[in-house]
Amino acid sequence: MSLAARQSELPDYLPEHLGATREPGPPGEVRLRVSPLGFGRASQMLHRAGARFVTLLIAGAPEPAIVGAFAMRGDLVVLRAPVASGQQPTYTALGPWWAAAQWTEQELADRDGARPVGLVELPGLTRPDADALEQCVMGLDVFSLPFGPVRSGVFEAIQFLLETGGEDVTRVTTRSFFKHRGLEQRVIGMAPGEAVHVAERIAGISSVAYGLAFSQAVERALGVTPPAHAERWRAVHAELERIACHLDVIAKQAETTALAVGHARFAILKEQIMRLRARLTGSRFGRGAVVPGGVREQARVAPDELLAELDAFERDLSRDRRLFLSTASMTDRLIGTGRLPRSLVEEYSAVGPVARGSGLSTDARHERPYGEYRRLGLQIVTHREEDAMSRVMVRFSELTESLRILRQACEHLRRANGELVAPLPAVGSGCAFGWVEAAQGELVIWAELTNGLVSRMRVASPSFRNWALFEHAFPKDVLTDLAFIEHSFGLTAAGADR
Amino acid sequence: MLAWIPRGLAKGRITTRYPRTREAPPDRYHGPVAVLDSTGAGRELESCCPTGAIAVDERGRVSLDRGRCIACGECTRIAPHRFAFTHRYETAARTRQALVVGDVDHDDPGPARRTLAEQARALRRSIHVRHIDTGSDGAEEWEIQALWNPYYDIQRLGFFLTAAPRHADVLLATGVVTAPMRAPLERTWAVMPEPKALIAVGTDACSGGLTADGEATSAGIDAVLPVDVYVPGSPPPPIAILHGLLLAAGLLRDGSDR
Repeated sequence: MSLAARQSELPDYLPEHLGATREPGPPGEVRLRVSPLGFGRASQMLHRAGARFVTLLIAGAPEPAIVGAFAMRGDLVVLRAPVASGQQPTYTALGPWWAAAQWTEQELADRDGARPVGLVELPGLTRPDADALEQCVMGLDVFSLPFGPVRSGVFEAIQFLLETGGEDVTRVTTRSFFKHRGLEQRVIGMAPGEAVHVAERIAGISSVAYGLAFSQAVERALGVTPPAHAERWRAVHAELERIACHLDVIAKQAETTALAVGHARFAILKEQIMRLRARLTGSRFGRGAVVPGGVREQARVAPDELLAELDAFERDLSRDRRLFLSTASMTDRLIGTGRLPRSLVEEYSAVGPVARGSGLSTDARHERPYGEYRRLGLQIVTHREEDAMSRVMVRFSELTESLRILRQACEHLRRANGELVAPLPAVGSGCAFGWVEAAQGELVIWAELTNGLVSRMRVASPSFRNWALFEHAFPKDVLTDLAFIEHSFGLTAAGADR
Repeated sequence: MLAWIPRGLAKGRITTRYPRTREAPPDRYHGPVAVLDSTGAGRELESCCPTGAIAVDERGRVSLDRGRCIACGECTRIAPHRFAFTHRYETAARTRQALVVGDVDHDDPGPARRTLAEQARALRRSIHVRHIDTGSDGAEEWEIQALWNPYYDIQRLGFFLTAAPRHADVLLATGVVTAPMRAPLERTWAVMPEPKALIAVGTDACSGGLTADGEATSAGIDAVLPVDVYVPGSPPPPIAILHGLLLAAGLLRDGSDR
């Protein structure tokens, strides 16, 4: 099956309008070179034109530069402003007028020393202090309540500083970065085949998505196209992972309402998927399945067997879903809880079920289709109620959609056979973005390779981008809603902190 | 609401009988790596492991440290006659040295700390478990949570999850110990009443794994606190964590299946 390169929907006058020069780049990336002074102006124009902020980073190749990535009309617009050699990178901050950029800019200032003019200071973002108890809201009986980083349950380390009068939550501060392990530094000097093990462990629950985004970045940087058969298996692994992640969120919501049987039922379904993945790949998290260039080996479950398993799974799922949605004690806690207006979600450039639960139809599989998703018909599910229930409903609908995609991919796999991996050039160099839609949202990874070894990796994780929105998710919610709202975001601290 | 009850009952019994009967993993499961042939190797073999788990001594004898192994399988592909995934879930051991397999001279590790059962007989059937994340990749948390699902139902063995460290007998620690989590780990351990046990869950917690001694990381839990039971794995499956809990509680003997 041959696929013509998709035409860009961006207007031809865009580079001129932004004061930029177009540079060649891999498909889906519109690389524009701007002057350091023009970077802020060009970003502002993209903001006005409705682009979605993705990330900012310091690139080392082909020359040191500030790089901004923005999603716009099915393309990734990449602005590149070269940094004069020997000078500290600097630019005009986007944060004052684009909330989505604030966390990224602070991290860039702390890590890479790129301090923009007009930075919105977020002190302590990347160096959290669990004992600091600042209080911004003053009032009778208002106090600060630190929640985390040692959580009351088996959850990842993150801290929420709640300012509350006991019931109403007046202000929430999210303190992330307790888990920063320096994985982006760790991959420097590794061969792509080794570095993918690190990428898979950035967020363990989304190992396939992270491994895949990294592999696609490497493939695009080196100009390698993975075989179609490998892309089908990749889609199978990725969709099974999405099902497991979504079921985890739903099971946690049931657990939080003390709906014991409901929790048990969804935990059973999740465990079934984990066991299926162990049979497919040898790892319960699908680790090692995706490699740069393709997939590691023939999956160990035949497509027919997989289809039969999925049929049985879907029968169980649809019954449990019906019960879940008709249990008033469950739905009452979610409806109207943690409301995120669409305008806010847009301003923070949120992604994944958080965005789709507020009516935005952002999905990397649809916006910039990759791999097998170029061939599969994909229906984007959005719900407009903007609350925690809406985000759960998005997940329920995506479970059905994932099962449909899995069936389609299995049908293709059954009929065809072919190569599983395309060899990478031994000493290739290049740089590119790779992206996937992880269960948490759009994940974008920047990879640079020099003489066949990884020289830089930067991760724009969905969890990092969505956490920034978390403190706005309590418009009129009470203390006990925290767990529901946190689970409805369904994020992973490991992915955010890297 | 009532409709859930028949829904729950209809499933029948799915709970594992572990540890009474062994739980078998699926075919070709990536269990702990075994050293099949430990003789006559060259030093270059060491470089195939991204976490430095493989060591070759001057006489060409090969050993593999499961406490560092992330089960990436690189060695099983480069030297399939020497290394292979074993077909089982259990990985836990009560000393760090016991995780090193292959041809290796074990120094006398000294006695491991006494198990909870040896310290307090009364704890045998009511053990309260607390968890702390010190920088895991998030997968270990999923596998610990899975212990409370109906497939594993760890409460049948007398393990309960508690929200307060002051009520806990066992601390499950995951992750490499990042700089900001070091103090919370020490404080959580300090406020737990005696007798208590510390379990390092996951390869990151056992040795640091891929991120050992990085810019912001330590080299596992035992670089900070003495560990009672190590459960390597990236991540260890629920049965392996259960095995570790039983070892810490003194309800199982270790080493029997190595």
